[in-house]
Amino acid sequence: MGPLEHLPVLMVVIFFCGAFLMPLLFRWARPICAPLMVAILAAALVMAIIILQSVYQLGPQLYHLGGWPPPWGIELKVDLLRVYMLLVLFVISLWIFIYALRDLGNELKEELIGWYYTLYALLVGSMAGIALTNDLFNLFVMMEICAITACAIISIKEDRECLEASFKYLILSAMGTGCFLLGVAMLYMATGYLNYDYLHGSLVEAIALYPRNLLLAAALFIVAFGTKAALFPLHVWLPDAHASAPSPSSAMLSGLVIKIYAFALLIVFYEVFPAEMLQGVPLNEIILWLGSLGAMFGSIYAMLQTDLKKMLAFSSIGQIGYIFMGIGFNHEMALIGGLYHVGVHAVTKAMLFMAAGVIIYATGVRKISDMDGIGRNLPLTMAAFAVGSASMIGLPGTGGLISKWYLSLGALEMGRPFFVIIILISSLLNAVYYMPIVINAFLYHGEFQFRVKPVPRVMLATLIFGMIVIIISGVFSRPAVVLLEDAVSRFF
Amino acid sequence: MTDSTIIVLITLIIVLPIIMTPVIFFASRYSERLRNSLAVITSGLTFALTIALYPAAVQGNVVQQTLFEILPRLELSIRFDILSFCLAAISSFIWFLCTIYSLDYMAKEHACSRYYPVLILALGSCQGIYFAGDFFSLFVFFELMSLIAYILVIHEETEEAMRAGYKYLVMTIIGGLALFFGIIIVFELGGTVSLGVGSIIQETSFLALIAFICFLIGFGMKAGMFPLHVWLPDAHPVAPSPASALLSGVMLKTGAYGLLRVIFHVFSVDLMLSGGWDTILGVLAVITILLGSAVALTQTDIKRRLAYSSISQLGYILLGMSILNDNAITGAVFHIFSHAFMKSILFLAAGAIIWKTGIRKIADMRGIGRQMPVTMGCFSVAALAMIGIPPLNGFLSKWTLSLGALDAGMPFYVLVLLISSLLNALYYLPIIIPAFFDVPGGEDHGTGDQHEIKFNIKEATPGMLSPLVILAICTLVFGLTPNNIVFILSRLTSAFLLLGGAL
Repeated sequence: MGPLEHLPVLMVVIFFCGAFLMPLLFRWARPICAPLMVAILAAALVMAIIILQSVYQLGPQLYHLGGWPPPWGIELKVDLLRVYMLLVLFVISLWIFIYALRDLGNELKEELIGWYYTLYALLVGSMAGIALTNDLFNLFVMMEICAITACAIISIKEDRECLEASFKYLILSAMGTGCFLLGVAMLYMATGYLNYDYLHGSLVEAIALYPRNLLLAAALFIVAFGTKAALFPLHVWLPDAHASAPSPSSAMLSGLVIKIYAFALLIVFYEVFPAEMLQGVPLNEIILWLGSLGAMFGSIYAMLQTDLKKMLAFSSIGQIGYIFMGIGFNHEMALIGGLYHVGVHAVTKAMLFMAAGVIIYATGVRKISDMDGIGRNLPLTMAAFAVGSASMIGLPGTGGLISKWYLSLGALEMGRPFFVIIILISSLLNAVYYMPIVINAFLYHGEFQFRVKPVPRVMLATLIFGMIVIIISGVFSRPAVVLLEDAVSRFF
Repeated sequence: MTDSTIIVLITLIIVLPIIMTPVIFFASRYSERLRNSLAVITSGLTFALTIALYPAAVQGNVVQQTLFEILPRLELSIRFDILSFCLAAISSFIWFLCTIYSLDYMAKEHACSRYYPVLILALGSCQGIYFAGDFFSLFVFFELMSLIAYILVIHEETEEAMRAGYKYLVMTIIGGLALFFGIIIVFELGGTVSLGVGSIIQETSFLALIAFICFLIGFGMKAGMFPLHVWLPDAHPVAPSPASALLSGVMLKTGAYGLLRVIFHVFSVDLMLSGGWDTILGVLAVITILLGSAVALTQTDIKRRLAYSSISQLGYILLGMSILNDNAITGAVFHIFSHAFMKSILFLAAGAIIWKTGIRKIADMRGIGRQMPVTMGCFSVAALAMIGIPPLNGFLSKWTLSLGALDAGMPFYVLVLLISSLLNALYYLPIIIPAFFDVPGGEDHGTGDQHEIKFNIKEATPGMLSPLVILAICTLVFGLTPNNIVFILSRLTSAFLLLGGAL
């Protein structure tokens, strides 16, 4: 093994080191900051790929930080599921960062950019930590880092709206963390462990002794992760926060941050809680219903919006609903669908926010009604928007269809065709609010009324990359699906 | 013909138009002539390649080939059998003629560099639907074609067109989602959605019924079946006339094709009969026929009247499918051909009149036959065929359908066909009789000198007339005797489908 053995922890540590270096370097060696960040993100991506290979060869691996064994030491785990999440995380954060390089100058004061890099590195590092960790306390620490940096990359813009939104986010997020901590305390009280594997083993007996406490803990977890992942009806903070943030931050928050909490919920529910625990009270059913309500209401709210970024933010609430439905069905196919949607929606929504960012950069337009005819001036941007919309609706040839296919298949396997209808109706609602934007952009009769600045090539290149990924995820989806099949087969 | 030749040919038929789309788009930057000729050549080549498959179709070759797997157990595949051939041949033929017709018709229109690539891409996706080897590929091409057709519908970009287009788009997406639901249920119940398996679902169940209804919604929406026809009378008239001809003459048939595949490949004749599902289809078909004809009577705009007529004609095809015996299926398949010929003539002729004179109101068309005798002549041939006058192909369809209804012991359906023919006569004859026997623009046709008929010939260009004449000849030739190629193909198709339709 040699040095490769330490890769899991390195993936987290390089981000934290980078985060500390950035403010210093930004003061004394400004030009190398951005390349260094790109290098860090790329290095993390390469490490994730190496780990993927070794997991394929050797199976899941555990890493003990500092050589301290569990249940006391910090344990990190790499398996296919986590590596999938890490790959999504690193690819998309690298991609968003390259976009951000050009966009940030437009949205932030010059001297804040160094701090933005710090926050970005911390955010990605903490998300990698959430994905990798194998104990609840470590998860708690990483969640705190993630929550605070996520607030900070909203409020860094320093206008009234951003501060208000990030304050709202901070309070609700802190409430979620509080619930989580309370839940962790209950589990610790009942079992004496925080490590996932030990917890899983001892919970089987503990259920008989403390049934109510453990159920309460599970409920607290749903509220905690639900708040942070904007599960309906705990989504109230999301629209303001995601809409007012700088566009790269919006892409990051909507694309990745809410997904990582959904992923954490998945891990806790499938890896930590034994199956008996979920039998007494239909916790899955609750997640399923909340997810489907989110899928419906997120879309309905999105239809009512006049601001483009607000609309995209509400659409995220609908889309995260699909992911929670995938978790709630408790069926292999649906879980694959939900996890596939984690990746697909991350790419799609990040790209849509980037396209919105390009529109704001080039024209300053934020209102949907002002965008009529914009397709003639920004053809590539609006083409990207069209591809993203197609994926949101789930048209064939885009990744959105594949996740819906698996979700629906899972629903049918569980004998619940009703939920397929919910998925279809919410797809229709998506069509109702995405399509008119694309149509009016390209086929509007009059001229676009605003002045258009030229768009930097790098920004357009990132959009093209997004389009390609979305189409690949819809057509050549087989390898990813096979990986996910292997990853989740151990739960069923 | 060997299997590999067939596979190469059908891949070419699908891929050629799709590849030519960007080529035509970029060609339009250099020269309009190049763009137009490329469009004509592409559609012509597609037609020629399709016709080259004729011997294989008549020999009864069936080829099924997987291209690649999208997901485990779910692949993109292509298939060739006689039903695919029939539909692909007629649509590429009509497409070719409509492209030629477009050259002159669209010369005065705006945004032609959008129109031609879209037209050719729609051809490619339409052929893709017919040669798809499983329902998933079919669904992919179906959605592609439906979305592309939107751009044809709203070509004029008027307020009215945009509204009609939006309605079309919403209905298309509802239909697409219903199809998705149907396909996924089939996949769940049968483990495959391939067309090469015969009847995928063997027994009736609640889910199977839901799947059938979903397919009925998805494909029926496209075919203008009651009560999902609401988009059709708005969307077809607002498109440019060659596009209307394609929408009504060809693209509607994709819905009928899909339903045929569903009935014979997902379910089977026995299952349809034992579940009583043929009755669902039959009732809807009867309502569609009568409602389409009745509403057509009240229309004053010629293209709207034609659009409602399309609804009622597609009802015939659905009726044939619901009866499910040899004669009825033959009639349904033959009517797919007949209606493609007739309705393209009618829309192209209406287009020629609108192009030349700007008249859209039927009341203003008095005496137009004297100005445009060839156009109106072709129009009359098609209208008479619609009514079902004997030597024309419309008669042969109705005759065969009626035979099928009688074989099945359902004389009621014959009555419906007769009533609908009467209604057809009621709304087509008032167009053609005044066109030839009234004075242009004259209100006083009783007092004017009827014997002195003057011909002030102001015809459309030869480029627009020749497709009309060719189609009118087809209407006549393929109706004269039941011993024509098209009718024989329909018979073979029907026999093939009733044998199970699989490999």
